[in-house]
Amino acid sequence: MWSRIVLALAVAAALMAHGAGTDAAPGPFKIAVVSDVGGRGDLSFNDMAFKGGEDAERDFGVRMVELVSKVEADYVPNLTRAARDPNVRLVVGVGFLLSDALAQVARRFPDKNFVGIDTFAQTIVKQKFPAQYPLPNLMDVVYEEHKGSALVGALGALLAAQYARPHIGGVFGIEIPVLWKFEIGYKWGARWATEWLAKNRPEKAFSYRKDFVLWTYTGTFSDIPKGYAAAKAMYAKNAVAVFNIAGPLGLGINQAVQEIAQAQRLRMGPPFWIGVDANQDWINPGFVIASMMKRVDRGVYYTTRWVRDGQFRDLVHRTQGVVTLGIGTRIAGQLAEGISVSTLEDLDEFIRMGLQAERMTRKKVLPAPPAEIKSKVKTMRNAQPRWVWDAVAELEKKIREAQVTVPMVVTKPDIERWRGELGSRPDRWPAMAHRPFQP
Amino acid sequence: MRIPRGLRPLAESLAAVFLGFMAGGVLVWAFGHSPLAVYRALLVGAFGSREDLLETLAFATPLLLTALTFAVGVRAGLFNIGAEGQVYLGAVGAAFVAGSLPLPPGVHLLMATLAGMTAGALWALVPAVLKAWRGVHEVISTIMCNWIALYLSMYLAIHFLAEPGRAERTIPALPTARYPVLSEESTLTAVLFVAVGFALLVYAVLWGTRMGYELRLAGENPDAARYAGVRPERVVVLSLAIGGTAAGLAGASQVIGRPPAWSLYATLGNVATLGFDGIGVALVGRNHPLGAVLAAILFGALTQGGRLMEYEVGVLSELVRALNGIVVFAMAVPELWNLVRGRLIR
Repeated sequence: MWSRIVLALAVAAALMAHGAGTDAAPGPFKIAVVSDVGGRGDLSFNDMAFKGGEDAERDFGVRMVELVSKVEADYVPNLTRAARDPNVRLVVGVGFLLSDALAQVARRFPDKNFVGIDTFAQTIVKQKFPAQYPLPNLMDVVYEEHKGSALVGALGALLAAQYARPHIGGVFGIEIPVLWKFEIGYKWGARWATEWLAKNRPEKAFSYRKDFVLWTYTGTFSDIPKGYAAAKAMYAKNAVAVFNIAGPLGLGINQAVQEIAQAQRLRMGPPFWIGVDANQDWINPGFVIASMMKRVDRGVYYTTRWVRDGQFRDLVHRTQGVVTLGIGTRIAGQLAEGISVSTLEDLDEFIRMGLQAERMTRKKVLPAPPAEIKSKVKTMRNAQPRWVWDAVAELEKKIREAQVTVPMVVTKPDIERWRGELGSRPDRWPAMAHRPFQP
Repeated sequence: MRIPRGLRPLAESLAAVFLGFMAGGVLVWAFGHSPLAVYRALLVGAFGSREDLLETLAFATPLLLTALTFAVGVRAGLFNIGAEGQVYLGAVGAAFVAGSLPLPPGVHLLMATLAGMTAGALWALVPAVLKAWRGVHEVISTIMCNWIALYLSMYLAIHFLAEPGRAERTIPALPTARYPVLSEESTLTAVLFVAVGFALLVYAVLWGTRMGYELRLAGENPDAARYAGVRPERVVVLSLAIGGTAAGLAGASQVIGRPPAWSLYATLGNVATLGFDGIGVALVGRNHPLGAVLAAILFGALTQGGRLMEYEVGVLSELVRALNGIVVFAMAVPELWNLVRGRLIR
């Protein structure tokens, strides 16, 4: 009798010990999102990552914890703090500045999963700790920016044809290899459009010239007046649209557009500008023709799903720890895309983001009530001829089905070769133009 | 109860700390958090485990140095707010030697450290000379120098020191020019000992040498000092140079003494605000080198413990900063009052 009770207790104890030892999550499934120093409220990169976490909360029942980095020295302690929480199963570091920190912290916590958005942490592991490469618990999520840039480059060139304007423009930030992907993609897309026009709209066609795309590297991702000065020079040369590839400098481009709009009493472009990363069409409805969206939120969303479904480490193993989201990209048999040109349908999602920012900061973020923004954007889109949108859709289809290949340029020899072919002289602009902003 | 005269500053500071934490408690309570839970998280987050303690010290290290910059200035009767720019140039100097000059182990680390300190000191000489021989007020000149240093350092970092293909930062320090990491659990390195050693050295100089005595005398009573034969130019140059050396070391410490980047960011993001924060640390530490060490640990604790406040209690990161600000402000009040009273009486 006693022996049986002892046996039963022993079995129960063994079961309990077993239960505690497995992954049968003792607490809730948590993910942690660590921002870079841009932090909450940038309405693009970091906010997109938090949005992805919120979408994952809604669809997968996980809980997100946020850690905002105030200075660069916070990256390692923030990632560490998150990894030490026993319920956190996935730690996401947002932005390429976190690469070194991710490589270091991921090595310290082999039981936790780590994701970097736009990072190259596995490359750092390869250089510094070749024996451990690829780290089984670390994934870099990168994007096919060149393909999205090709689409908006085509859109710009088609608009130039429609409005008989001689140029399109691009305002870039600091000259780093990621931005070369944008630059050559954008120029390549513009040239593709001129070829499309020759075939399908000969009455509007023009041949691609090396000075058709006005482009300049401002050397900054934060000095908004430089974005204004660079864009102003491009609009002065009658550019139909200017692509923002420098984050907040888009506000400077917008200022340049706004001045022209006020002087000529325009209610709609041209001139236009083209947004980046998030859907920025709502910032100045009627003047932002579209945005090249880089879905940072999808990166967080997909990786959470892979961790939940137990696919994460297998994927890291198969991809050497680098996953690319783009147009038509498939991962583990499922479509996992991260690049697109904004549509009217996307707009609601991002107006909601603006509304949330208004609630959090108690400051005015949206330029008009949501319904008015939406109707203005719709009117602007409908005012462009159908064939413009059809041509962009055609290019997207061709990229998706691999009928055309957009060059992906990340090395010095490649950028020199492609600039030789598509345009190698940057646009000149007065460095000390009239400054509408206080520093 | 009578408090011995020597302990009065400590007692005042402790009372101020208490009041500061009370006021901060009211603030977080107003936002619907329990002050007890918030302060528990602050304490546990800063000192609760070995790795938290080490991280707290890692954040304290540069601050204790920039606090010395301000404190030595005040002791000499100067209001030196130039630490910020001296930190930038110290970081640039260290980044250059550490990343671009191949030197033998040991020598390399020493040279990189000295390069940082020298760059900081040289930058401090500009306002020192202007003050000593032209009477330009140090508040004006140091603020102007801070702005020049900002753009000069960014220019040097981007155009001469940038790592190819990674324009966001300078070439990382070669392994021979890195302070050993004390434990893989945190970003603390042996540069802490150099910083504390420097603080002790400054203490020894100020209270143990004739030079230091002259410096303090000039700060306490300039007229008496001049009457006693102390040359004011010498005091100005000396105190600003010591301050610049400390600030330069602070900048270097973030480049060659802080993983994982081991480099200076082109935005100067990993050294920015250290100089200004040092002013607060110095005021809390009663402008005393040893007080600066204690106050810096407190600041480090607020940063590192604030992380757990945000993480565990869900306090908004802005509120964490506001709370830290209130605590720091309350603690700085006694010394601020001393400074103001000193000026009024004079």
